[in-house]
This record gives sequence, C-alpha cells and structure tokens, in this order.
Amino acid sequence: MDSDIILVIVVAAALAFDFTNGFHDTANAVATSISTRALAPKTAVTLAAILNFVGAFISLKVAATVASGIVDAELVTTTVIFAGLIGAIFWNVLTWYFGLPSSSSHALIGGVVGAAFTAGGAEAVFGNGLIEKVIVPALVAPVVAFLAAAMAILITYRMVGRLRPGPVNRGYRLGQIASASLLSLSHGTNDAQKTMGIITLALVANGTLSGPNPEPPTWVVISAATAIALGTYSGGWRIIRTMGSRIIKMDPAQGFAAQSGGAAVLLTAAHLGFPLSTTHSITGAVLGAGAAKRLSAVRWGLAGNIVIAWILTLPAAAAVGALTYGVSRIFGTGALGPLLISVSLLAVLAAVFGKRLRRGPALTSPVDT
Amino acid sequence: MISAIDTDALLELVWAAPLAVLAVTVAWSMVVIGATRASEARRENRSSAAALNMLLAVAGGALFAAAVVFGLLVLTAKR
Repeated sequence: MDSDIILVIVVAAALAFDFTNGFHDTANAVATSISTRALAPKTAVTLAAILNFVGAFISLKVAATVASGIVDAELVTTTVIFAGLIGAIFWNVLTWYFGLPSSSSHALIGGVVGAAFTAGGAEAVFGNGLIEKVIVPALVAPVVAFLAAAMAILITYRMVGRLRPGPVNRGYRLGQIASASLLSLSHGTNDAQKTMGIITLALVANGTLSGPNPEPPTWVVISAATAIALGTYSGGWRIIRTMGSRIIKMDPAQGFAAQSGGAAVLLTAAHLGFPLSTTHSITGAVLGAGAAKRLSAVRWGLAGNIVIAWILTLPAAAAVGALTYGVSRIFGTGALGPLLISVSLLAVLAAVFGKRLRRGPALTSPVDT
Repeated sequence: MISAIDTDALLELVWAAPLAVLAVTVAWSMVVIGATRASEARRENRSSAAALNMLLAVAGGALFAAAVVFGLLVLTAKR
C-alpha cells in the first residue's frame, strides 16, 4: 500500500517537473520569434504548446536512454526518484525566477544522481554513464549549435546582403514560423520523453513494469505530453526576455539561423537517442548567430552568468535531491516522508505564487515580471 | 561501469547537424532571394526574370520542405 502511495506521489512530481520543464523551456522555441515579431506572444506559445504535445508522440528513443545507464536500477527506489524530481523542480523554479535559461535535463539527472548517491553510495551512480551519455553530449551541443548557427548566419548575410531589408526581414520572419515549429516539435520529442523515462523508471522500481528495456505505457505518454504542453502554454516570460532580447538584439535572419541551428542539433540528437539539452543547444545557437555578426553584439557578461548556471545545475539539483532523500528517510521507508515533503513544498509554492498572483499574473503574462 | 562512449554517434552529431542547418538555411535563403527579386522584376515588367526568380523560390521552397520532411522521417524511423 505504502509503495503505491509513493508511486502516485512520484508520478505527480514527475508531471509537475514536466510542467516546469515546459514553462522553463518555452523560451527555447518562441523567444527569437517573439523578439523579431515573427509571431505575437500568445500565438507563439499556443503554437509551441500544440507542437510540444504532438512531438511527445513521435519517438520513444530518448525515454529509453534516460531510464537506463546513469544510475543503478537495482539500487533505485521510488523514494530516490521522488527526491531527484524535487531537486530538478527546485532548480527549474529557481533559475526561472532569475530569468536564466538552464537545462531541465541536467537538473533532472542531477537530482536523481544526488538522491541515488545518498541512498546507495557511489556504487549507485555510473560515473561513466553520466559522463558519456549526459555530460559529453551536453558539452558538445552548445558548441555544435554555436558553430552551426554562426555558419548559417554568415551564409545568409552573404546570400541576401544586397537585397532590400524590408522583404528580406519579412521572408525570414516567415521562415522563423517554420523553424520555431520544428524546434517546438523537437522539444516535445526530446523533453516530454525525459518525464516518460523517469515515470517508467519509477514503475520499474515499484515492480509495476519489468524487462530489460521497458516501454512507457500509453497513459504515461499522454500525461507527459499534456503536462509539457500546458507548461509551454503558460510561458516562462522571464527566460523568454533573456533569450529573445537580452543576450543579443537579433534581426529576423539571426532569429531564423538560431532556431534552425538549435532545431537541427536537437533533431539529430533525438535521432541518435541522446538526452540532449534543448536549452544548451538553442542558447549556443543564439550566441553563434550573434557573435558571427559582431562579437561585441553579444552581452558576454550575461552569457557568463548563464554558463555558471549551467555548471551549477547538476551539483545544485543533486544536493537538493540528496537532502530531500535524507529528510524523507527520517520518517522511514514508507510514504510518510514523501507525503510530508510534498505537502510542505506545495504550501511553500502556494504561498510564494499566491503572493505573486495578487500582484499580477506570474506565469501567464508576456509582460516582464 | 557501462559501455564505452558512442563516438560514432557523437561524430555523426558533429557533422550531421551543421549539414542539416546549412541545407535548411540555403534553401530558405533561395526562397527569400527568389521571391524578393521576382517581385522587383514584376514591378519593372521583366517577365522572364520574374519567372526565373520565382522558379528559384519554388526550388528553394521544395528543398526546405524536403529537408523538414527528411528530418521528421529520420526522427520517426529510428524508434
């Protein structure tokens, strides 16, 4: 009975994480389109939400990657997964508050690694798996996206440089709608599946699913797709402002190059089955599109803060995951610990957001909050 | 500890992603150039130039659509 209660809490926490993943990463798909006025803010988030939902059904390869190879499944319990999710949600909300784009994937993996480390010691974490399946691809992603977007904008300027800017800008705004759509679709393909993977991991840990490569059940796929779409629709406007106009002031051609670069890296990564960070890819592409035009066009101080947030993501989420697991175990191995932690966190979130909502919409307004 | 790093897949990511963005960028730039020049040629009553540039735009559009469809097919094919 206790294990079923914990499983329900874990599934709820996973869907809550998926929602935060959606509103945290909305910026990745829509920030450049909004910034260059290719799309109106509400239209952009609605389109992104629909395509995130659709994208979640396209491939299940990333889900399989997240659920294996990073922590020892034999030592992972539903309480470990719950603690990992709390670590990830904490980091997503904190970085959203400061308007910093950071990787939800790193936060999720960091949280699980921290909790697993506390639960099972160093043997519960595959150091090689972490480096080879997560850290190396995540380091490669922004560099490849940077170079791809830089190359794209240089070629673009070379090709259209002598034309009148009016029609050219209109043309690339139109192209941005296509590239934003592709990016939203690939985000759904990549990120909704991380939640599917983590719920699948919980179902395996609970004994509900078994086998060497368990597939996520249909209800998991549908609920994860819905949660990320709702989160995307809510819009994380603080990060949209950072990504869309604070890193560089971009023209429609740069927006198109950044979005195409990010989408190409993510689609290729999804094809190869890497749990790649959407944020790292698109931020790298935005920086590349800006730096290739003029190095001084990029606000490198802000870029530095973003990189610091990226470096802190894994250890910070791991620390919160470890702490959550430790506190939970004070109340034993049953459902009491996760239940008390969930209720306490919900109360804190209600207090913070309730106070914020009395002053105006926190998540649902394109006005900078 | 688990299997060694999948360097083939990583290398594939390193060359395939820039190639994909190159194809998409060139294709869409052909659309923009073709449509813009065709519009200018029509205003100046140069019908053959307008037709040629429109052809360039259509070819770019077809390439762009093909690149997008290819990306989606690749994504759905490897489950």
